[in-house]
Amino acid sequence: MMSCVRCSSCKWIPFNQMKSARFAKNCPSIARHGFHSYSGSGRVNMGLSLLEGRSELTEKVSEVIYSCQMCGACDTHCKVYREVIDINDVLLELRAKCVEDGELLLEHMAVIDALKRENNMLGEPKAARGEWARGLGLKDVNTETVEVMFHAGCRFSYDRDLWPGVRGSVRLLQAAGFEVGTAGAEESCCGGRAYELGYRGEARNFFEDMLARVRSSGAKMLVTACADGYAAFKYLYPLEGVDLPVEVFHVTQVLERAVSGGRLRPGRLPCKVTYHDPCHLGRMGEPFLGRWEGDKRLRLRSMSRTGKNGVYQPPRSVLGSIPGLELVEMERIKQYAWCCGAGGGVIDAFPEYAAWTAAERLEEAACTGAEALVTSCPWCERAFLDAARETGSPMAVRDLNELLLEACGESEGGDP
Amino acid sequence: MIPEKAYAELEKAIGADNVTREPAMLDSYSWQPFLNMSGELWVARPAAVVLPASTEEVQEVVRACNRNGLKLKALSTGWGAQGGASGDDTVLIDLRRMDRIIEIDEKNMYAVVEPYVCGGELQAECWKRGLNTHIVGAGPHASPLAGATSMHGCGNDSISMSTSSRNVLGVEWVLPSGEVLRLGSPGSGAGWFCGDGPGPSLRSIMRGTSGAFGGFGVFTKVALKLYHWPGPPTVESEGTVLDSTGELPECMSFFNCSFAGEQDSVEAMYRIGEAEIGCIQVRMVTSEFILLIMPHLFPKLVRKGGAILEFLNEAMASPFTILLAGNSPGELAYQEKVLHEIIRSCNGIAMDMSRIGPARRLMGMNLLRCTIFPTVFRFGNMFATNLDGNEALDTQNAWTHTMEGYKSAYVRAGGLIDDGGENPYMINYENNLYGHCETIYLYDHRNREHLESLEPLGFDTTLAAIEQCNVPLAAFEPVTRKLMSPLACDFNEWQKKISAAFDQNGVSDTRLYTDEEDPDYDRIDPAKLEKLKELQARFRGKERR
Ligand SMILES: Cc1cc2nc3c(=O)[nH]c(=O)nc-3n(C[C@H](O)[C@H](O)[C@H](O)COP(=O)(O)OP(=O)(O)OC[C@H]3O[C@@H](n4cnc5c(N)ncnc54)[C@H](O)[C@@H]3O)c2cc1C
Ligand code: SF4
Ligand code: SF4
Repeated sequence: MMSCVRCSSCKWIPFNQMKSARFAKNCPSIARHGFHSYSGSGRVNMGLSLLEGRSELTEKVSEVIYSCQMCGACDTHCKVYREVIDINDVLLELRAKCVEDGELLLEHMAVIDALKRENNMLGEPKAARGEWARGLGLKDVNTETVEVMFHAGCRFSYDRDLWPGVRGSVRLLQAAGFEVGTAGAEESCCGGRAYELGYRGEARNFFEDMLARVRSSGAKMLVTACADGYAAFKYLYPLEGVDLPVEVFHVTQVLERAVSGGRLRPGRLPCKVTYHDPCHLGRMGEPFLGRWEGDKRLRLRSMSRTGKNGVYQPPRSVLGSIPGLELVEMERIKQYAWCCGAGGGVIDAFPEYAAWTAAERLEEAACTGAEALVTSCPWCERAFLDAARETGSPMAVRDLNELLLEACGESEGGDP
Repeated sequence: MIPEKAYAELEKAIGADNVTREPAMLDSYSWQPFLNMSGELWVARPAAVVLPASTEEVQEVVRACNRNGLKLKALSTGWGAQGGASGDDTVLIDLRRMDRIIEIDEKNMYAVVEPYVCGGELQAECWKRGLNTHIVGAGPHASPLAGATSMHGCGNDSISMSTSSRNVLGVEWVLPSGEVLRLGSPGSGAGWFCGDGPGPSLRSIMRGTSGAFGGFGVFTKVALKLYHWPGPPTVESEGTVLDSTGELPECMSFFNCSFAGEQDSVEAMYRIGEAEIGCIQVRMVTSEFILLIMPHLFPKLVRKGGAILEFLNEAMASPFTILLAGNSPGELAYQEKVLHEIIRSCNGIAMDMSRIGPARRLMGMNLLRCTIFPTVFRFGNMFATNLDGNEALDTQNAWTHTMEGYKSAYVRAGGLIDDGGENPYMINYENNLYGHCETIYLYDHRNREHLESLEPLGFDTTLAAIEQCNVPLAAFEPVTRKLMSPLACDFNEWQKKISAAFDQNGVSDTRLYTDEEDPDYDRIDPAKLEKLKELQARFRGKERR
């Protein structure tokens, strides 16, 4: 924390990537709230102040800490120059401190209560978790051995508007020849969001629960369509020493291989789309690289999460494989992408701010001339759908799997 | 603690959401370890921070401070201790919400911007229009308005785009009284094209050489002179500074020029200025590049006695990097030919670095946008410089060596990090007649010994500056100012008069503008004190004569 030199890089997309003033900023939090304390650097500085006992954690400070999407854009720009500061880790620690000291947001407490009760982030009944998959002919990982264990995640499991996307991913996997199973009503939250909210004990329970299910499934691959879940499995689990004995993939990675290997053959689908990189599939989805002991000034770049090893090309390759589809890029893409607004518990505690953040992205998408914004994370889709409705944006929001399924001439079978 | 009444007035002026006095939030403005020459890491916690969104709101805040006996200080992006408060009675005016590029006048080649427009975004907009803007050496992070109105202003591109003090045209200024004054052509409602009228021309009063460091009201808009950009509207680049995949645009190339002797290098710079070629030019020694990009390797090289570094620095002696940019392949070829002739005639060699893939990718965009600066923090964690004046090239060159002597003494005593050499950072402007040279020294601000070196080193360099009649820009430190001012026409007495005329209630936080402080005489080596007295007597006497 002491290494922050207050350069403010963390408030902008990397300067070499700047193409306009309109889309030059990278941190929704400071762009919306203004005070330095709402930036990555400001939070690091506040953290140091708390650590040195110069100031106290109050209700207001906790509100500042949580007015952040945990999108990681600040960390990525800081690392463009230097290896020493892991802003993301500081942000996680600050949230854990809020929980430890009882400086909690009511909205998050409600979410965590519901999570403990119903095993999901939306407070929906446990028993209804597997309904999205009805009629898809999935195996039950609780009783059968499967090749691919599919993790739908909380949002996809319960948000009916998004079911075509999640059902589409399963249909595509099946069409590509994979034998897929899920845990149905037994599937529970990956625990990633709870961890990001600072509720580490609760999160850990879910991590272990997941580990047990994966072990007993005998699966070789764990595939998820949820970017949050992907980031949790790739980064948070190993960070906490939970080692999943399977290869973890986001569904777009598997589909990329299926398309390039000729196992899926999309047909013509004339349209002009732009692609939104979900933070948790991109920079936040970079795998855990191990802890660096000692002076971080000497940390090897290969041990530094710079954002460039996120999942960026697979979704683009999938889109690129669809004849007639034109992909037009926004200014802030890949590790430099602007967040959808939903992450870090913002959608629960500060819905208006989440919607503002998403609306910013819709505007950026509109500037490309695309007719649809495509993404591959249910949280992003929900944020964009809500923002489009609220702002009256004509931009269509599409799930990548749904689009590919359509191009492949398949159907997910309708609402179960 | 800010009085309730004052706080309520601020809230009323700009809305409760835009004012804070929450200690942890205020502390995020106090963490200012860089350019903090006192050896402290935190500056004073302000009384409050406010976020006005318009000139009118700034006026309201200034008036509220006047009414309530509070001090005020504005900041733009706030990189460095100069952007912090000096005492707990200062209200910091964070201008982040004033972030608009108001106008880019392509025909008359100027832009009107607010304080929180950063150099990078202004440049991106300019490039799209075939124009370019000067970026200060701090990089594209910094606010062009802050550079133009309030602090220094030179940069790697000064060879072609001069310094901020030259580029400032019209200015909108909220005076310490709360009134708005428009300098230059906007002062008579004639547009923003000229800094000197029709309308009041108070450029020198407003900023002088170095600026008032926030001690003289609040600047809310500025018009900046723009230049021709021969490159494309955007330059693609990805990755971190060190694995950058960007390419240099067509009709651009850059060279590392090194010489048999130092005088040759300076002569070459003069001739380049006369020939009016070059888009970017910066002098850094070869070992410094290694230090920036390979901090892992560097300590090993130093531990091995520094022989390799010495060899490199001697093999590529007195070097500078120059980027040429032409409007056509023919023009670039002409510039390259001129450059080669100059370098040859000055006993030097010019290596075309743009032919070396990794160098081209690493330096291309980083030179054009001046993006590479924060890498200076990689090796040591922190750095400082003897912020030097703007003088004739030869003077600046000589000053580098003086500084090097002091620096190496501190390195040997363990008070600074061994960076293997001189480490000057030098840039040129006004057809290369002038130079600005800083000697960079690295330290780790987590190391007490290093922090404790800063003040004594500052004192030593001040003594040296007095001896060599060189006014360092670091005269913004109250101690340096107190020592230097009597020897340089009592400049600070004049500044204080100017300040008093505009700021009758003393509302501005003037610590870095006009305040003076005695050095801690008890901690100064008696021999150095003796020397100071001797120099003071010598130069004061001269002045009187
Ligand atoms: C790493 C580094 C390298 C640097 N190298 C160079 C260099 O090569 N050349 C050079 O010229 N400078 C250099 N500087 C100093 C640089 O000029 C300033 O830091 C920069 O211009 C300030 O921009 P900023 O947005 O950070 O301003 P701030 O830090 O916000 O402000 C700088 C000063 O101006 C005052 N100020 C800012 N905005 C206003 C306003 N609107 N009204 C009134 N007062 C205001 C502030 O109070 C402060 O004292 C360097 C700084 C850093 C950090
Ligand atoms: S956190 Fe990193 S990028 Fe942000 S101000 Fe600090 S050093 Fe700069
Ligand atoms: S994680 Fe995202 S929202 Fe939070 S401080 Fe960093 S850039 Fe801003």
